[in-house]
Amino acid sequence: MLSKKGILVTIVSILFVLSCGGGGSDDSGGGGGGGTNDEFIQSIIDDYVDNVVIPTYDHLRERSATLREACEALEADPTEESLEAAREAWFAARIPWEQSESWLFGPVDFKGHDPALDSWPVNRTDLDAVLSSDAELTEEFVGNLDPTLKGFHTAEYLLFAFDVDELGAREFEYLISVVRDIESTSEELYTDWAGGDEPFGEIMKGAGNNSVFPSQVSALEQIIEGMSIILDEVANGKIAEPFDNQDVEAVESQFSFNSRQDFANDVRGALHAYTGDHPGLGLIGTGLDELVAESDPELAQRMEDEINDAIDAILAIPQPFRDAILDPDAADEIVAAQEACRQAFDTLNNEVLPVIQQ
Amino acid sequence: MIHTGETVPGNFYKQFVSFFVFIIAAALLLAACDSGGSGETDTTVKAGGDTSVDNRTSFAFEEPAANLSEESLIKHTLGDATFGDVFVTPPAVVNPGLGPLFNNVSCESCHIKNGRGLPEFGNTGLRSMALVRVSDPEGTPTVQGGNPPVEGIGNQIQDHATFGFEPEADVTLEWEEVTGTYPDGTPYNLRRPVLTIVLANGEPLGSNILTSVRIPPPVIGLGLLEAVPEEEILAMADPGDEDGDGISGRPNMVWNNIKQTTEIGRFGHKASMPNLRQQAATAYIEDMGVSSPDILGNEPAPEIDEETLELTTFYTQTLAVPLRAETDDPDVPRGESIFFDLGCSLCHASVMETGDHELSELRNQVIQPFTDLLLHDMGEGLADHRRDFQATGREWRTAPLWAIGLTVTVLGQQNYLHDGRARTLEEAILWHGGEAENAKDGFMNLPKGERDKLIKFLSSL
Repeated sequence: MLSKKGILVTIVSILFVLSCGGGGSDDSGGGGGGGTNDEFIQSIIDDYVDNVVIPTYDHLRERSATLREACEALEADPTEESLEAAREAWFAARIPWEQSESWLFGPVDFKGHDPALDSWPVNRTDLDAVLSSDAELTEEFVGNLDPTLKGFHTAEYLLFAFDVDELGAREFEYLISVVRDIESTSEELYTDWAGGDEPFGEIMKGAGNNSVFPSQVSALEQIIEGMSIILDEVANGKIAEPFDNQDVEAVESQFSFNSRQDFANDVRGALHAYTGDHPGLGLIGTGLDELVAESDPELAQRMEDEINDAIDAILAIPQPFRDAILDPDAADEIVAAQEACRQAFDTLNNEVLPVIQQ
Repeated sequence: MIHTGETVPGNFYKQFVSFFVFIIAAALLLAACDSGGSGETDTTVKAGGDTSVDNRTSFAFEEPAANLSEESLIKHTLGDATFGDVFVTPPAVVNPGLGPLFNNVSCESCHIKNGRGLPEFGNTGLRSMALVRVSDPEGTPTVQGGNPPVEGIGNQIQDHATFGFEPEADVTLEWEEVTGTYPDGTPYNLRRPVLTIVLANGEPLGSNILTSVRIPPPVIGLGLLEAVPEEEILAMADPGDEDGDGISGRPNMVWNNIKQTTEIGRFGHKASMPNLRQQAATAYIEDMGVSSPDILGNEPAPEIDEETLELTTFYTQTLAVPLRAETDDPDVPRGESIFFDLGCSLCHASVMETGDHELSELRNQVIQPFTDLLLHDMGEGLADHRRDFQATGREWRTAPLWAIGLTVTVLGQQNYLHDGRARTLEEAILWHGGEAENAKDGFMNLPKGERDKLIKFLSSL
């Protein structure tokens, strides 16, 4: 038997079609609010893809290439200076990667690029075994190893846990293969969004005309969800896990003492996602902030301020983070950073999201 | 740039329409009652009851149940971390315990975003998310009614190993295209898996060994399925097809390794797992080579503690089910009617009610999982010819269809059925055979437009 609501839905649908039929509407056919395509919303999605996501991945592949070059220079001439230069290149490559964690969806996820680049912890037992074996440490060999034996954190371990005179031929051979693998994975990630037969960027920009993003609003929800995930992760995972357990071994990027920068760049990525801008690359676009401002300018600004507050609060944690978690004098700053991220998370989900869904 | 949306007129229009709709609906309701209707689902029932969330993004399967208490939410968050924990070779300070033989390194490495995994094997690019279950028909089961293990392998091929160890085998999955034609002349393509297994010694797997490829299923809503009373499942069973509708439905009776007794199976493609804790402990040891307090395997001591096993179990019990997509598309309710008319709902049962459960959030929820949790003969095309407790080589547990429409959003692609062979929902339907042959035939005989409506309905779930 038909339910009451089922009939209501059917009749609403029929009336809607009768009233709007023939209007040439480009109906998405369901999901997340549906409705006709909207140029303004389209510009937000376009700028998210073209001004934020793809340039960030482009930045990542450039910086990964620089990292590889710096490591090759280190191998050719292992000095304090060349090690320092390779470390700097590693820091630089982490910036776009962490910023891209505000959109851990799409190819980075289902093509396995995230674990290949950023698996943690490093499998040091196997790494030691590999280094002391007689296996030829080619890029192909390293590429086929488990993700916990490659990626940024393995490179970090090799670059930061040793002095230059402790790095031998095997370590260099391994390091070069790891950073080449990072470079090729970053290249793939960029191409997955920007090139090939079916670039994911085009799929997202085609929201409303495909089943991945059944409506334009679903793409906006996806942007917000990506931001939410990283704000939650920084506050309640990356900071909370080592801090609550007073466990320095649970700290991300612990060999390089780069944790605080990682967290700040995570949240910067969320800011880029919200504003449609990538100021560091000179890109200014249309963002969710402008859509929110249409109905609530105060909220639009407050959201942006809260994300900036979260970045500032993270940067106020005394350095290095792995020492700060054990220092009672740093506890207030750590808690304040968590609270700032949670505040931004709450505003995003409780106030901004409903506006987007209207 | 200022957006000039037509918010106010839109709202007025909706109110205007709603008023007349209410009047007309009231009148038509009586007519619908008289005509008997076609058995559509009650849209007032939320897919996952009070656990449901309104999220149709790629993160939709990662939401905690909406009705969790503050205390449960904290526990769920901790479980989220253990579910994501990446294991490494011992000794290690963080997450030791991997291997020496394994398929992958964490729960979420296979259950992508808590959804289904891909039919992938190997070390390059995408790493093994699928696995191969094996059994030796000449062997001796290690638990009552269980599958006889293959000597030197066990019941699952671990195709990865920590450095210095040899994986049990190299597994290659290739596809063979199968073509067919609808009665209306429309051609279609299916693909059938072709499995090649080369053992560590370079020999092929013995031809007498039974194999079954499995992809990881989605993790959402499992706590609710655990909370469905056994009597409710048994009431849907009809092993001898007494009602003559062509659909039997049998419960699998499987081994509970803690209680050391046989009980109803609910989880896995053949319903071979009785509960989520046993599922989690089995996945730890079989998939990752990590021993737990419940299953030590060959390890001398548990590599995860009681708390970790409990948290991971809790996490899988307390993931939300996304609500159905809201849509104005009239094809969706029409597709839903077709779903019922074809008899799909005889197995993909639309409504269940949970009963008692240790977690209060899961109790007494009216849900729409679209499964009866029973085994059905699905025909020769899907048969793996490998018994699993009481499930025959042709039987599979009805897959829950809730949130199946989010598959492509979560995964970026689609792969359905136990081995991921179906690349679309249409292909999945076309593989149905056995007890589902009539429903499949009914689908094939529909005009294309009607077939598309059924797919639209499924996509709205």
